[in-house]
Amino acid sequence: MLISYNWLQDFLKLDIEPAVLAEKITRTGVEIPTTDHPMDGLKKLVVGHVLTCEKVEGTHLHKCQVEVGEDEPIQIVCGAPNVASSQDVIVALHGARIAGNEKIKRGKIRGIESNGMICGLQEIGFPDKLVPAKYLHGIFVFPADSEVEPGQDVYHALGMDDYIFDFDITPNRADTLSMEGAAYEVGAIIDQKPKIEQIVLKEDGPAWTDSLKVEVDPKLAPKYYLRKLTGVKITESPLWLQTRLWNAGIRPVNNVVDATNYAMLLTGQPLHAYDAKTFADGKLAVRKAQAGEKLELLNEKELDLDAQDIVIANGKQAVGLAGVMGGLHSEVTDETTDVLLEAAVFDPALVRKTALRHANRTDASARFEKGLNWDNVQKGIDIAAMLMRNHAQATVDEGLLKASDEQRQPVVVKTTVSHINHVLGTKLSGEAVVNIFDRLGFGHELADDDLTITVPNRRWDIEIPADLIEEVGRLYGYDNLESTQPLLPETHGGYSERETKIRRLRKLVEGQGLNETINYTLTAPKAAKLFTKSDHRLVKVSWPMNSGRSALRQSLMIGLLEAVSYNFTHQQDQLTMFEQGRVYNLDNGKYNELEHLAAIYTGTAANHNWQKQDQPIDFYWVKGQLTALLAAVGLTDLTFKAAVIPGMHPTRTAAVYAGERYLGFVGMLAPILAVKNKNLQGHDMYGYELNLEALLPLMTTGVKNEPAPKYPGMERDISLLIDKGITNAQVVDCIKENGGKYLQDVQVMDVYDGMQIEHGKKSLSYRLLFLNKEATLTEDVVNKAIAKIDTALFDQLEAKIR
Amino acid sequence: MSDELDKLLARLKEIQAEGSQEINQAVNKEKLNDIRVKFMGRKGKLTEILHSMKDVAPENRRTLGQQVNSLRDKFQASLDQANQDLTHKLIEQRLEEEKLDVTLPGREPLMGSKHVLRIMEDDLEKFFIGMGYQVVQGPEIETDHYCFEMMNLPKDHPARDMQATFWIDDEHLLRTQTSGDQARVLEKHDCSQGPLKMVGPGKVYRRDDDDATHSHQFMQMEGLVVDKHVTMGDLKGTLEMIAKHVFGSTETRLRPSYFPFTEPSVEMDVRCFNCGGKGCPICKYEGWIEVLGAGMVHPNVLENAGIDSNVYGGFAFGVGLDRFAILKYSIDDIRDFYTNDIRFLTQFRQEED
Ligand SMILES: [Zn+2]
Repeated sequence: MLISYNWLQDFLKLDIEPAVLAEKITRTGVEIPTTDHPMDGLKKLVVGHVLTCEKVEGTHLHKCQVEVGEDEPIQIVCGAPNVASSQDVIVALHGARIAGNEKIKRGKIRGIESNGMICGLQEIGFPDKLVPAKYLHGIFVFPADSEVEPGQDVYHALGMDDYIFDFDITPNRADTLSMEGAAYEVGAIIDQKPKIEQIVLKEDGPAWTDSLKVEVDPKLAPKYYLRKLTGVKITESPLWLQTRLWNAGIRPVNNVVDATNYAMLLTGQPLHAYDAKTFADGKLAVRKAQAGEKLELLNEKELDLDAQDIVIANGKQAVGLAGVMGGLHSEVTDETTDVLLEAAVFDPALVRKTALRHANRTDASARFEKGLNWDNVQKGIDIAAMLMRNHAQATVDEGLLKASDEQRQPVVVKTTVSHINHVLGTKLSGEAVVNIFDRLGFGHELADDDLTITVPNRRWDIEIPADLIEEVGRLYGYDNLESTQPLLPETHGGYSERETKIRRLRKLVEGQGLNETINYTLTAPKAAKLFTKSDHRLVKVSWPMNSGRSALRQSLMIGLLEAVSYNFTHQQDQLTMFEQGRVYNLDNGKYNELEHLAAIYTGTAANHNWQKQDQPIDFYWVKGQLTALLAAVGLTDLTFKAAVIPGMHPTRTAAVYAGERYLGFVGMLAPILAVKNKNLQGHDMYGYELNLEALLPLMTTGVKNEPAPKYPGMERDISLLIDKGITNAQVVDCIKENGGKYLQDVQVMDVYDGMQIEHGKKSLSYRLLFLNKEATLTEDVVNKAIAKIDTALFDQLEAKIR
Repeated sequence: MSDELDKLLARLKEIQAEGSQEINQAVNKEKLNDIRVKFMGRKGKLTEILHSMKDVAPENRRTLGQQVNSLRDKFQASLDQANQDLTHKLIEQRLEEEKLDVTLPGREPLMGSKHVLRIMEDDLEKFFIGMGYQVVQGPEIETDHYCFEMMNLPKDHPARDMQATFWIDDEHLLRTQTSGDQARVLEKHDCSQGPLKMVGPGKVYRRDDDDATHSHQFMQMEGLVVDKHVTMGDLKGTLEMIAKHVFGSTETRLRPSYFPFTEPSVEMDVRCFNCGGKGCPICKYEGWIEVLGAGMVHPNVLENAGIDSNVYGGFAFGVGLDRFAILKYSIDDIRDFYTNDIRFLTQFRQEED
């Protein structure tokens, strides 16, 4: 809410710099991010009185003689359609500065001398939304009652000498959504009692309350007050009232609407004015909407009402959406003579739901939602009526109709001074604490340590002792709190074992030269299902921002693919990236979040170099990285089986197992991905993805020293010719099964299936490492092992030993 | 007979001149060896002279012998020297051939890097672990119960609007805040066994259109301390340490604020480190930059978790890791964290620990 410094002066004696006050309020009550001083940057803008105004033939221009408080009137050429003689207007003199730091100089327009400019409000810095409709496309004309003199600065008359605080109000401090509320708050901060005036409304019309049959469900509207005003003459409001409205960010409309807005700004009580004709049938009801009921709002939005909407209705139909907006057909117009004025408290939850349901939140609905001061309902309606009486020639009919009038008792909260001190870490005396509640205008009673606080209804945010502690803390001043560290028994900080393992994996992968990414969880439903071996139900958000971000990913690879694609479009194609994060699915009605680790590789295995030693990344490079990574955490006995996984190359992908446990996959990304996403064309991409939920329990955590072997080992090479379809794994398994207990390792030395080899065959060479840890190996032992291996390879795999 | 001696001596002189010249002109070791054979070998020229000794008068033979030996020694010395020179020359030649252009670039292996948000997270975790905090993880698919209701945000509470929520079904949602971790930990913690000190980092989600300053996904870290004697002064001191640790900033201010799960609630601002408070685009001309929200744990939150709020109390705070990184590293578009341009990612390497 925008709070005017000048208006605050009605309540408080402010002899404090606005900027200093704003900082004080920010630190103590409500944040004021910005303070606006509308006249900033403006210069030489004065009131002018148009003496004569004649049309310049053949143009849209007028040549005006304008009195600006100098010896002689000055001549100004003006292009505005609404300029006329005897108007009081805003004149930018020669040398003036107007909005946008634009300088005004005397000069000639169409050859006619012009010594300044007659301004519209926008030209001196008003935003369009605050300019009254009739001045939106022309110059501003001071209303007749403005009491302005030619030559005087315009700033004061237009309220531009004000300082406007932008109160950034948190939901709990809706009590400051009014000038009176703000005055109480600022008063407490600067230790002054605000001057809040009570009013006595003169009712000089006939008694009217029997003329309308009003039915209100007090559950929907615990308070519902009406007044009737007759003989209203719709005009523009006096300037002082208009300036207060626009400084509060509200556009002046007419003397009736402005009166309701002004009363709301002053008291915080929203008001609504109906053309009394709406209820010509003598009936008014506050009820829930009926099935199929429709309503056209003031903003010409047509609503299909919901059975939970509260409406104001006449005998026939809904005419307004309670607490949200009036109906188009009950609106006050220029022809309106009789007005029915409403001040109410509606159920906050219902108003909130209605406003949300129809996507139609308003100033009023926000206030009803956040709560109102139940003690200010009558003041609100009386102020509005009084303003109409004073400025719209209205007759106030006798009687305030209270169709419902529930009472709210002030809240009493008990606490102790020592509790307050204990929580804040202060040593305030009982007297000091009481003084703070006194500044707030709360009732207080102190008996030894016991404190009883009576909270006025204007502070409905206060209910429990913690709320009182906040009041004491902020008014005592958080700046004055001593900064301390918790004096607590020693605690041991750290990560869980699971977290520690995950962090270790991340570190290892980073050490392998991969760059960490963080990708979006939400993706498109089709994409979310890629890169997973088994089919799980997707988790979807029910109201996504767009379909491309509507499902929770089931793989990290999909995000890495998006990252790679983004980089390709930015000419970056040397990419080795990883992500460690969660994937999500829905199984048997249970939502699962699984930690994964995935990497993607494209480009070369080292940075580009002039020696051409930057070989392209291929399957075996990535598999090697993965193998080394898993070996580093103690997993050396892995099985790789060819596998088909959506999104991966169907003949270049392996599923990775530790024993029977599926850990994830490694392989080439499917070339078909580039058909759908052109950015991927021309790039080979490889990667792996691991399910850490499977991997973490297998990670070793304790190492026992194994002494380095003291005896020399022996190496033997064997070469064999074998069917092309037989895998390396089959051969190695066969060798290991038959190699005896001293066979330590089997290394592939060469794979060849080129021209020199019989069709359908391939040649494989292996190096076998034998070692006896207890003694020196003998040739004989190794020869026997090799012979056994040779036989087994021939028998089992029909391998020809070469 | 002395004629014969003179003749041989003259011949010796010729051999000396010839030999010296040949040694000087020799270009390789093979040539030097040939010279040695030619002059000093069994059939060499010096041996020839010695063979001619019989023609010399016996009293002169000694002189001649000495002369021949002396010349042999000279030749040997010259040959050794020449041999050594040649070796040096060869080495030099070889080294010259081996010369590299050391200004050509070396082969660089791929270097990994941590994501800047992870750097931020790890750094803060380390900071808090050092002060005895446990690091706790919770689910991202959270229930209304833990994300809101346990945190004193009952259904239809207006403050729920502060956080546009991605709902999954009537009860499940993508967490809008890491506060749910607080509720879960509080529920499990036995206060009689000692204080609770935790931080909970993680991803959170809000239903926001992505632009330079908004992201539907970002990272938060939640902190919570509960025990019998935890004061707001302790909170202030802790928050100031965070600000100093992350921003090196010493001037901070606490402002009253509102969060349903804390009472009192505050927000902390730090003096704009860019302009020092004069006002600039980074602080939106306010001179202050909001960095985090905090407060004293609301009694309802404690009671909801079965903790007696008359005995126990504490503070909680929440920091936006994205916001911290944005401020600390002058990042001007929050989307940069999630589009993962490789050039963006790798530049923060030097910030890793
Ligand atoms: Zn700044």
